[in-house]
Amino acid sequence: MYIVIVGAGMVGYGLALELLKFPDHEVVLIEDDPVRAEELREELGEMVVLGDGTEVVFLEEAGAARADLLVAVTRDDGRNLVACQIGKHWFHVDRTIARVSDPRNEPLFKTLGIDATVSVAAAALAQIETSLPEHIVVPLMRLQGSGLEVVDLHVQEGSPAEGTAIKDLALPYQTVISLVVGIDGTPRIPTADTIFRAGDEAVAVIDQQAEGQLREIFAGPHMTDAESDGDAEQATADSAGGA
Amino acid sequence: MKVVIVGCGRVGSHVALRLDGDGHEVTVIDNDPKQLRRFLPSSFNGQTFTGSATDHRVLVEAGVERTNAFLALTPGDNRNVLASQIAKHVYNVETVVTRLADPFRAELFQRLGLRTFSPTNIGADLAYDALLGT
Repeated sequence: MYIVIVGAGMVGYGLALELLKFPDHEVVLIEDDPVRAEELREELGEMVVLGDGTEVVFLEEAGAARADLLVAVTRDDGRNLVACQIGKHWFHVDRTIARVSDPRNEPLFKTLGIDATVSVAAAALAQIETSLPEHIVVPLMRLQGSGLEVVDLHVQEGSPAEGTAIKDLALPYQTVISLVVGIDGTPRIPTADTIFRAGDEAVAVIDQQAEGQLREIFAGPHMTDAESDGDAEQATADSAGGA
Repeated sequence: MKVVIVGCGRVGSHVALRLDGDGHEVTVIDNDPKQLRRFLPSSFNGQTFTGSATDHRVLVEAGVERTNAFLALTPGDNRNVLASQIAKHVYNVETVVTRLADPFRAELFQRLGLRTFSPTNIGADLAYDALLGT
């Protein structure tokens, strides 16, 4: 695959390093800051090019016309949007991915046909949330189109899940517990007989609407009140539970 | 009609004053308050706002939800494109005019539904005509 990356900050640079591990990919990394470009050229060589990735003429030189994927990850939403729209509508790049800094721009980018958006702020928040003890259901990734998401579950002491086998839990429809990591850090693939212990962490695929129900199953007795405060997802779970 | 203009340079302020003179309700946004003071005389009847052209909060404060037209006239092409598409697709402004220094971008975004113009093309044509005297 031929991949054009616009913006060689930490995100663009990290992505380039990651993609270089796959010999089938050909990657070009575009950076408009001469100092940064020169610095990266010393490390990564010819794949780093100095120029404006929102400029039609320059993108043409960079081979955008034969790109399979264009990823725009500068700090500026406008630049990322324009790079992707030029990629898509001028060079007919199959797939475009944009970094979005302002979450309010996310729906707009989707409307305008950007295939995927990534939010560094949202990713950082999710990561911080996983390490907060009071967070029981932490969304990791939305699976586009299906209404499902991947979450990290934290089994709390005194919760309905503690000491219970998976097959005996009333898990919401479409919940698949895919991986359980014990408190000692050992990962294991769970079976129906796997019993949860306090401190276990589980990675699961769930319905996006089911976060509230799962929270009730994995939360300790003292935690449900705080969690239900003004929480829309909790409200959904309540009505589902009452039905 | 109500018009929101982002970018208060020579072009933005000139259009703002003309529209104001015609009796339209004009609001001008620029991220630099000095620009607003420098280019808009006290006789200007419209409103001014300091803030980013692509900040939804600033745009809403300036009345983008109720405006008939939106003109993006900052010196930054990409900023103008983002601001214009926010106005058009998020706040459903009827008429959106976008200044793009890069003629390629002007052509592309015209095709994608914005009313674009490129001062580069216009300036070059004028210089050519001035030289060859048509």
